[in-house]
Amino acid sequence: MRWRAAAAAVLLLLLVGARAHVAPLRAQGAAEAPASRPAFPELVEIPGGPFVMGADPSADPMAFDNERWSPSQGTGMVDVPTFYLARHEVTVAQFAAFARASSWRVDPQALAGPPAHPVVFVSWPDALAYCRWLEGELKRAPEVPGRVRQLLAEGWRVTLPSEAEWEKAARGTDGRRYPWGSEPRRDRANYQNQGTAPVGTYPCPECAHGLADMSGNVWEWTSSPYQPYPYDASDDRANLDADALWVMRGGSFGDPARQVRTPARGAADPGARRAFIGFRVALVKR
Amino acid sequence: MGVFLAPLALTAGLLAVSLLPRIRQSEPLTWSFWGAAMLLLAWQAVLALRARTEGAPTLGPFTPRAQHYVQALCHSGVFLYWGWYWPPVYDFMPLLAGQLFFAYVFDMLLAWSKRQAWVPGFGPFPIVFSTNLFLWFKDDWFALQFILLAVGFLGKAFVQWERDGRRVHIFNPSAFSLALFSVGLLVTGTTDLTWAQEINTTFSLGPRIYLMLFGIGLVVMYFFSITPVTASAAATLFGASAAYYAVTGVPYFVDSEIPAAVFLGMHLLVTDPSTSPRTPFGRAVFGVMYGLGVFALYALLGALGLPTFYDKLMVVPLLNLTVPSIDRAVARLGSQPILARLGLVGPLGRMNLAHMGAWILFFAAMTALGRTDGMHRGDALPFWQQACAEDRPRACERLLMIEGSYCADNAGWACNELGRHYLDGRLVPTDTDRALAYFSRACEARFQPGCVNLLDPSAPVAADPRPLDLRLLVREGGPNLLEMPEPALYARACRHGWSFACEKRSASR
Repeated sequence: MRWRAAAAAVLLLLLVGARAHVAPLRAQGAAEAPASRPAFPELVEIPGGPFVMGADPSADPMAFDNERWSPSQGTGMVDVPTFYLARHEVTVAQFAAFARASSWRVDPQALAGPPAHPVVFVSWPDALAYCRWLEGELKRAPEVPGRVRQLLAEGWRVTLPSEAEWEKAARGTDGRRYPWGSEPRRDRANYQNQGTAPVGTYPCPECAHGLADMSGNVWEWTSSPYQPYPYDASDDRANLDADALWVMRGGSFGDPARQVRTPARGAADPGARRAFIGFRVALVKR
Repeated sequence: MGVFLAPLALTAGLLAVSLLPRIRQSEPLTWSFWGAAMLLLAWQAVLALRARTEGAPTLGPFTPRAQHYVQALCHSGVFLYWGWYWPPVYDFMPLLAGQLFFAYVFDMLLAWSKRQAWVPGFGPFPIVFSTNLFLWFKDDWFALQFILLAVGFLGKAFVQWERDGRRVHIFNPSAFSLALFSVGLLVTGTTDLTWAQEINTTFSLGPRIYLMLFGIGLVVMYFFSITPVTASAAATLFGASAAYYAVTGVPYFVDSEIPAAVFLGMHLLVTDPSTSPRTPFGRAVFGVMYGLGVFALYALLGALGLPTFYDKLMVVPLLNLTVPSIDRAVARLGSQPILARLGLVGPLGRMNLAHMGAWILFFAAMTALGRTDGMHRGDALPFWQQACAEDRPRACERLLMIEGSYCADNAGWACNELGRHYLDGRLVPTDTDRALAYFSRACEARFQPGCVNLLDPSAPVAADPRPLDLRLLVREGGPNLLEMPEPALYARACRHGWSFACEKRSASR
């Protein structure tokens, strides 16, 4: 009980002190782009700074063991520099534009879904190939906002978010369990359901940074190898002898509330193409 | 007119085969069978009409010839052994049966069209079998397989010359059509319509394939006295390979002294007694020329950037054309004492057992020296890495080829190495897109450095092969070593020159 009270106090303090900074960068016509033209993702600025990462199973009964920071510490603080994250998961229509424009071989099932739904049946390399292609498109397209063009010119890259970036964007700086707060809400996310929903279907005004579908709909690939906590971005290139396993976050339409919590960590074989795995892009300085 | 029941029944057999699930699974394949059957039926109709005015064609007496059925049995042995280790061969059997029906009817109608009697026997068997030991078209293009056979029969029926007072065919029928189609496929860049590459590389999946081919070859040698052809061809290639290695420090045929498919050709393709020289010495010369021809064509095709596995096919018709010249030259030489001592003068067969004995000794010696079955120095990837680092002739090109082949089999380590080559531009021109494609493949094969390099190709990383990779990398041309325990795997990898494997092996002791 003492632990729970302490955690609640910390959460309250964080909630009071935190201010969600939302600065959308929408490419002109992104939302209604015709199928023949690539619809660029709307990028949201996630300000730099520390946030609480992980979850302590002794304090949060829904937490999984792999969310615990270390044997002696339930959660950890991670400082993440400013980056931008797409408001929505990449859609079938967006991915189809990439498939049409490049010679990358995609699983036909990835293009079979409704255009506005998140793309699925994409492997981790497929997701990165899309990011590389998108980066080139963003550099060329005249309708891209000047800020994005400037960042790209400065060497920022379009890629997948790291799991720390993903978690910070999902839970904000107030350590919430779900993007909208502490309790599961089926009106806020697509989970415990039968299939994917069009991206942004579930309105979530309370969600950190105004991001959509950070819980549920589809698991989202990240750029982090699956390793035990504590999280340290500098060890991403370690353990080269281990079989590859990459972190995915957010849970999917078929998962229970426990899996769609912001600190929940999933992992998959990078070659996996599944009906419940998709991704969203990030613009980062690496 | 009852004679037409024979081709009609055989055509019905062809149609019956087309109803098998293996054929029905592909529409183009089914239509190729039906097209072949329709052509044969139309041809029979034309001949039936002609028979009204000219009289019915005739069938000769059943005449089984040893050179047909013995060869066919030997071919069957190869198919059985090969298919045991490479299942697509057994899967192909219905297609082989269909070709046999087609070949019988085609041969029959061809003879009748030439107003000759057709002599029943086993003649079509070796033509169909030896063709299919070297080249199959993929299902979508299988109509070309029937044309391939038809060309062989047409070559046998129409491309003839006078030899020893008899009109005989010039070319080994299967080698003739195989060579023509090989040239066509190479010129048009369409070799991927066939399974030639797979056929070429899967012979060695069977353990002790050289010993097996050697054993089967002895049967053919015993019956048809073709030992001088095979033995001299083998000796030439073993010698040339050894000489090349002595000069360059790298094996000529990458991972063998003689590729298994070439070794097969030496026993069952170039050895057609009807299109070989008449004397033992002539046959020895013929074999030497085959060996040199394969050696030269392998280099030529490689230099032109073409698939090298056509080397053994294209040289045979050229050699067939030289047979009268070889026979004349040998006749002019007469009974030279040295040739007499080697048993290479006089009629065929007289010294056959002695020749076979010499061949057995030679093969035994090559085997004892590790030049046939077992590990070849070119099987070891570290050997090629070292040779490439030392700038040995074509070593880097072969290293890339070998890594490409393992990458295609999903050895993540090999894909990652290829990606690094295409990034650093040392062995190949820098091609970032290609490098990333290889890293993707490595990553999908769960080789972590491939994923890391895909994410950030600016400082590519590498790692030692995993046990999963080693199961491919040290297979020595055989099947993947899926069941081999890790200690044995590391021991074998250590033998191949992987120093990390030696350390792991030592650590586990």
